[in-house]
Amino acid sequence: MKEVAIPEALGAESFELEARTGWLSWVTSVDHKQLGIMYMLGAFIFFLVAGVLALLMRVQLAVPYNHFLSPQAFNQFFTMHGTTMIFLVVVPMLVGFATYMVPLMIGARDMAFPRLNALSFWVQIFGGLMLYFSFATSGINGGAPAAGWFAYAPLSETAYSYGPGVNYWILGLLGIGVGTLTAGINLMATIISMRAPGMSLRRVPLFVWMTLITGFLIVVVMPILNAGLVMLLADRLLNAHFFRADTGGSAVLWQHVFWAFGHPEVYIMVLPAFGIISEVIPVFSGKPIYGYDFVAASTVAIAFLSLTVWGHHMFAVGLDNAFNLFFAISSMAIAVPTGVKIFNWTATMYQGRVRFTTAMLFAISFILMFTIGGLSGVAFAVVPIDWQLTDSYFVVAHFHYVLFGGTTFAIFAGAYYWFPKITGRMLDERWGKVHFWLTFIGFNMTFMIQHVLGMLGMPRRVFTYPALPGWEAMNMISTIGAFVLAFAVLIFMINFVISLRSGKIAGDNPWDAWTLEWATTSLPPAENFTRVPPIRGRRPLWDIAHPDRTDEMMTRVAG
Amino acid sequence: MPGTYSANAFTLAPASPQAAAISQLFVGTLIFLGAILALVTLLVIYAVIRYRDRPGAPAAQQNFGWRKLEIIWTAVPTLSLAVLSVFMVRTMIASDLPTADAKPDLRIVAHQWWWEIYYLKTGVVTANEIHIPVGKRLLVDFRSADVIHDFWVPAIGRKIDIVPGHPNRLWIEADRGGTYLGACAEFCGNEHAWMRIMVIADSPEEFAAWMKDQAAAPPGPTTAEEQRGLAIYRKSICINCHVNSVGPDLTHIASRRTLAAGALDNTPQNLAAWLHDPEDFKPGSNMPNFRLRDDEVWALVAYLETQK
Amino acid sequence: MPDKTKVGVGLFLFSEAWFFLTLLIAYVFFHSLPADGPSAASSLNVMHTLAFSICLFLSSATIHLAVRSFRAGDRNGVSRWLAMTVALGTIFLFGQTREYLGLFAHGVTISTNLFGSTFFTLTGFHGLHVLMGLVALGALLGIGMCGRLGEIKPSGFEAVSMYWHFVDAVWVVIFAAVYLLPLVA
Repeated sequence: MKEVAIPEALGAESFELEARTGWLSWVTSVDHKQLGIMYMLGAFIFFLVAGVLALLMRVQLAVPYNHFLSPQAFNQFFTMHGTTMIFLVVVPMLVGFATYMVPLMIGARDMAFPRLNALSFWVQIFGGLMLYFSFATSGINGGAPAAGWFAYAPLSETAYSYGPGVNYWILGLLGIGVGTLTAGINLMATIISMRAPGMSLRRVPLFVWMTLITGFLIVVVMPILNAGLVMLLADRLLNAHFFRADTGGSAVLWQHVFWAFGHPEVYIMVLPAFGIISEVIPVFSGKPIYGYDFVAASTVAIAFLSLTVWGHHMFAVGLDNAFNLFFAISSMAIAVPTGVKIFNWTATMYQGRVRFTTAMLFAISFILMFTIGGLSGVAFAVVPIDWQLTDSYFVVAHFHYVLFGGTTFAIFAGAYYWFPKITGRMLDERWGKVHFWLTFIGFNMTFMIQHVLGMLGMPRRVFTYPALPGWEAMNMISTIGAFVLAFAVLIFMINFVISLRSGKIAGDNPWDAWTLEWATTSLPPAENFTRVPPIRGRRPLWDIAHPDRTDEMMTRVAG
Repeated sequence: MPGTYSANAFTLAPASPQAAAISQLFVGTLIFLGAILALVTLLVIYAVIRYRDRPGAPAAQQNFGWRKLEIIWTAVPTLSLAVLSVFMVRTMIASDLPTADAKPDLRIVAHQWWWEIYYLKTGVVTANEIHIPVGKRLLVDFRSADVIHDFWVPAIGRKIDIVPGHPNRLWIEADRGGTYLGACAEFCGNEHAWMRIMVIADSPEEFAAWMKDQAAAPPGPTTAEEQRGLAIYRKSICINCHVNSVGPDLTHIASRRTLAAGALDNTPQNLAAWLHDPEDFKPGSNMPNFRLRDDEVWALVAYLETQK
Repeated sequence: MPDKTKVGVGLFLFSEAWFFLTLLIAYVFFHSLPADGPSAASSLNVMHTLAFSICLFLSSATIHLAVRSFRAGDRNGVSRWLAMTVALGTIFLFGQTREYLGLFAHGVTISTNLFGSTFFTLTGFHGLHVLMGLVALGALLGIGMCGRLGEIKPSGFEAVSMYWHFVDAVWVVIFAAVYLLPLVA
């Protein structure tokens, strides 16, 4: 077996490695592994905060005419819940996974720009704190922003949101946005410039492909959001007129700019999840991903298409039918490459040996939950259906199925899969199964019924509702489901703490996986690898263990 | 507290040709999507059972994919969606009729958090409740007085945003009598939840009678209590808001079914409670608390109840 | 493998392009609507702006020469051409400041109307980017004059140059859309 030393060019920079002990070493760290962990922990804390906001809202909605929360509080909570989950939980969590894993997966010793990496993280945290500081602003107009996570104008203008809340929303998002943008640049530069010899782009793990494509989307759309945010800030603070219909501005322009960012943003939130699933399913099926090229290529297609679908958020605005038709077609089109992946993940399990680890349970249910969410998305691409169901609980159900049943399930799969590599210990599988089933049941209980509520006419973003037949019982079921979910999260946290202390020692490769992160110790040393194994295919460790039937040999035979 | 009304799901009980067209498309689409979900679920469940790891199971087959299969599962969904698009276009035409050349019958101005309604041909002004004659199509012209709102009465048809600076129009009709509930469906601030709307489809005779009543002046105050109420109404300058479109027109308030855009059933008790403290029922509503004494409240209620 | 610094800066500039594109679209959109009050045609002096714009365009040539000198190891050349670039860029910013002051004096501000809002946002952010570029160029110039040019990686020097060219290219587009468009449309 040939050893490969890590050349200078791949980032073996001459800065001193600091001791990885003590909290100060974490605060000043530029190491991608520590930063990855910090991203993930920060995201999890925000997940708990936003989750509590959700529980409070579900208590308010459990019965009609409830007075548990005032409308002002409820409206602030749904705004902060959405903003937090999207910008401070899902994206940073996925960035955290990528920050930790991508350099390992490509045989590099850190990311392209370690100091920029640290800046990205801390700026994002600062932005998040600034956003939450809004809760502390006092007075009758004080409090958190309450214009919804997409802050439609003119509601978000000073005339209708006169407190400082929306200003904090804008400034917080600008800060968070700088963090996300620089992280995207860093990840792309790392993948483009720092792959170990032999690690061509056709051989990188699919998680790396997805990260690369996500980086591209980040680089294109975060600046679009930034432009919109500065225009709104100019309106609010400098009396500009961009989105103020009463002085010649255009409320619809805000929607175009926001959704030109906002739709690709949801793909930013799901492509890395696709990457996690593309790693987990093959390993626990014992065979390579089915259709690697098609999974990668279909993702490139999704990225480009995602830039052409934003108008489907505006079907009800009353724009002309040529506009509606174009975006309906593009939105239906984007379902096709997504479906290709669903079929490829499923086909991966065929003729495999499926091991039902907790990670795999989450990954398998990801396929089903994401399909449900994706199909309800196709329903929305059908314009007249959107004309009835947009802005109702049907759309709330849709996006929770893709973002929770999809991305969050994938995040849990990734957590169980990579916890051993990151900490050196295994998460307990028995607690894990309890966590999984409670999550599966709680999630479906909370959100499946919301499809029906939408069909029965319940609009979204309402702090209460009248006692219409069925509405009360369905809302109650949804609320109970939310508490089951909360309990599931608690189980996960218990598992996490117990396993961190006394979990089974993992070893280098507890799952019998094949990508490079498993070719080093758990946890990896500071420089990631003492030696990078030879890379002659997509599964370097498989090739080493089966020199008589490497991937290259088998693909040549298959033709 | 408001009473109960029937839920109006467009899927279960469309009350107009437009809603019926959408309902048909929706049911068909659900069946199509449901079939896909069933297929994927079966494939996944079969795979995890048949190929689960167990003692004696064959080793995992190291295969990498099959181009022909990829083409099939790309082409088939594409073709199915193309077919779906054809149905979609037909339904778009059926459910959203062209509005360009016709003259509107109604103007609805959406406010934070109530609906101002003008019957343009008769001059009738009302709020939060629309009466339409069964079987006749009316053209509505939508304006916003402030932020973006949305008109959504599912049983009648599609929703439409009401965007300041971007007037929209929509044909509405009902093909059978009934009361159809709706709501504002674009978050518009504090009391978005209580910006509900009601479309009441009357027979042509009932509608004509209603229109006649609304166009005529309401019976004035006769008893002493009602006179006193009118005096208080004037003294408290209710007119300042309730005639200048800051608040709903009250000319025929006693003829409506709900108060505060659906927050309360319209009963004397509820009206009194509302006048006592609007914040109690609709916190953040623009109506201030005039701190009226109980006797003043009841006098006002007596007066307002004459406004049929 | 591509040089990571160039890739990183290239991606950053790609992202900035989308930022400016969005502001530009807002400008062009509102420009196309009928409007009251000051407009590009009525308030802007194309010839004056062209004068200091030419300085910015020339500065792309001078920084290109600075890069050539850097690659050739010509320290004096680097300092000379960097200084010229900084000077030309500074003239541009002076010109723009004078233009802004003139507009304010005529009551045209960001809050006057949509022309004001879009004009100042678009050109203002461009001006800020020029300023940041001047800071970077100034730093390179300073390092060079301390005789420590050898400590700068070639890719780092070229990154600053890429940024400067980008800022210039953005101005070409803005100048065309804001100053030239009213003359033809």
